[in-house]
Parts: sequence; structure tokens; C-alpha cells
Amino acid sequence: MAGASIGDNEENPVAINVTAMVDVIFCLCVFFMCSLHFREMEGKFDTWLPKGKGSQGMPSEGIITEIRVAVFWDEAKQQAVRMLGTRVIQDDEDLQTRIKSAYDDFVRMNKPDVPVTIDAHALVPWSAIIDIVNICKREHIEKIEFAMGAAPPR
Amino acid sequence: MSRRKPPSVKEDVTCNLIPMIDIMFLLLLFFMLSADMTQREFEDIVLPSADQVQESPKEKGENTSVTVNIFHRQESPTFTCAVYSHGGTCRDKTHWLFAMRSQEFTHDTLKDQLQQESQADLEPEVDPTTNKRMSARTLIIRADRLAPYGDVQKVMQLCGEVGIYKIEVAASNPLNV
Repeated sequence: MAGASIGDNEENPVAINVTAMVDVIFCLCVFFMCSLHFREMEGKFDTWLPKGKGSQGMPSEGIITEIRVAVFWDEAKQQAVRMLGTRVIQDDEDLQTRIKSAYDDFVRMNKPDVPVTIDAHALVPWSAIIDIVNICKREHIEKIEFAMGAAPPR
Repeated sequence: MSRRKPPSVKEDVTCNLIPMIDIMFLLLLFFMLSADMTQREFEDIVLPSADQVQESPKEKGENTSVTVNIFHRQESPTFTCAVYSHGGTCRDKTHWLFAMRSQEFTHDTLKDQLQQESQADLEPEVDPTTNKRMSARTLIIRADRLAPYGDVQKVMQLCGEVGIYKIEVAASNPLNV
């Protein structure tokens, strides 16, 4: 592309060579197109820590005061294994149903603020934990606790 | 019979660049405005997805949150991880990094940084349960979906030690992309 004049040559004898400008704008466009980064829509779950409480380990009381979901890492199968009580539950819907059932039992006992405690091994992928948090949120269970310290006993 | 010669018409063929320049300017403006030139708070991470996650409203005024990214070390000519690059779950502790404001930290150095963040913005009132002023900072944990839970636990534990109790965990919403 050579130069281009704006308007009619006879009316406007002073031609402006826009080729250089077009080149520069092309370069700028390519630069910004390459550096464009679309951000994925993301949100957050509030997980406020209890003030003045450290990690408390396993509950010492004999009475069950929580819904505890234990998560282990199966190295051989490279997958997380979830247990509610002594039952292994791999299916999300099944886990949701059982958590809901356990939560409803506590509500009937006039304990609607019962927590769901996630007791997971350190090697478990983070997505497995978020899946459980998500299931609890679906059931409108607001009190979710993360167990700290030693790995859960099998 | 003589043939008539067609009259020679001189056509001045010029390319009108003005509409193209207008469009180029608009494109340039769009890309310039959408360019992220700020200090990178967020690393490129594949977050775990959760349909119940709510997009938090943007903070007005002073920014009181700080983000800890937990992510796998990027592939480079000097570093490769066969497990992670094939979509597997890498469990090598040295391959997972913590980053705050584009600065990388180890398990040992992260506590000092969190301590600084905690002290930089304290709540006005003394908390009656701890008898000290807790940090007003909100800490956002952005962990890769395959990050070991132990690393997230570590950040939470350090937060508890330095007095940061407002914690949020990030997840992507698959319905909102």
C-alpha cells in the first residue's frame, strides 16, 4: 500500500501519508491482542477461622456432635476416597443424600447448627475438598469445618 | 467496415483507507482498555469448580484483601514434571509453590510475609476472646484444583498463627463462564 490522500486531490492538495500510521496501529493491535487475557469468572467461599482457637484435633467426646466426612488419597488408583462414617461414598449425589439425611437427623434433635467436618489427608487434591463444600452449600449447611492435624484414622 | 475504438477512460484507482483506520482505532482502543497492566495478583491457575460459589462484590475504596496462590511450577527448559504435564496429580512437595503479588514463597518464608500482611491492617477493637487486635485483612486462597490439601491447610494454619481469621477460598463457577 502506498500513500493515501484524504479527500479529493484537487480540493485538498496536501496529501497525508497514512501508511506509517497504519503500520504502527497494526503493530499496537497485534501487541494488545497477544497480551489479552480473558479472566475466568470466579467466586469465593467464606471460610473464617475461629478466633482464639488453634487446631483441636479429633473430638474427644463420645457423643457424635458433627457430620464428619473423611477423605483419603488412594495412591494406586490416583483418586480421593470419601467416607461418611464407615461407608465409602464415591458418587456426589449419594454423598449429598447421606449428608442431607444426617443433617436432617440433627435438625430433628434441635441441633440445626451442627457442623460438617471435612477431615482430609494432606495429599488429597483441593478439588475433592471443594466438591464436599459445594455439596454442603447445596444443602444450605453453612457451618463447615476443616479438621487440622494428623491424618484421619481409617 | 471499420471498428470504433473504445474511448480510453483514465481511472484513478485509489484505496480508501479511512474506514479501515477507524476500525483499527476502535480495535486498538478496545485492546488497550481491556489490557491488564496492573501487578499480577492472580496466577494462571485452574481452579476447582463449584456451582454454589458466588461472585464476590468488588471492594470499594481501600483494598483490604490479599491473595495467596498455590500452583504447580511452570514447565521450562530446565524443569519438567511428567505427571502434571500429562494431567496427573503431582504429589512432589517441591513442585508446588505459594505466590503473593507475583512473588514466590516457600513454606518457611510464607509465614513472615503473612505476618507483615496481618500487622499492616489491624482491627480497631481488641478481640475479647484472644485479648489482642486481630487482622482486618481478608486472605483469599486461590489453589490449583490438583494442589495438595496439605498446602491449603498450611496456609490456614499460618493465618491462624498470625491473626488473620477472614479467609476465603476461590473456585470457578461452571455456570457463569
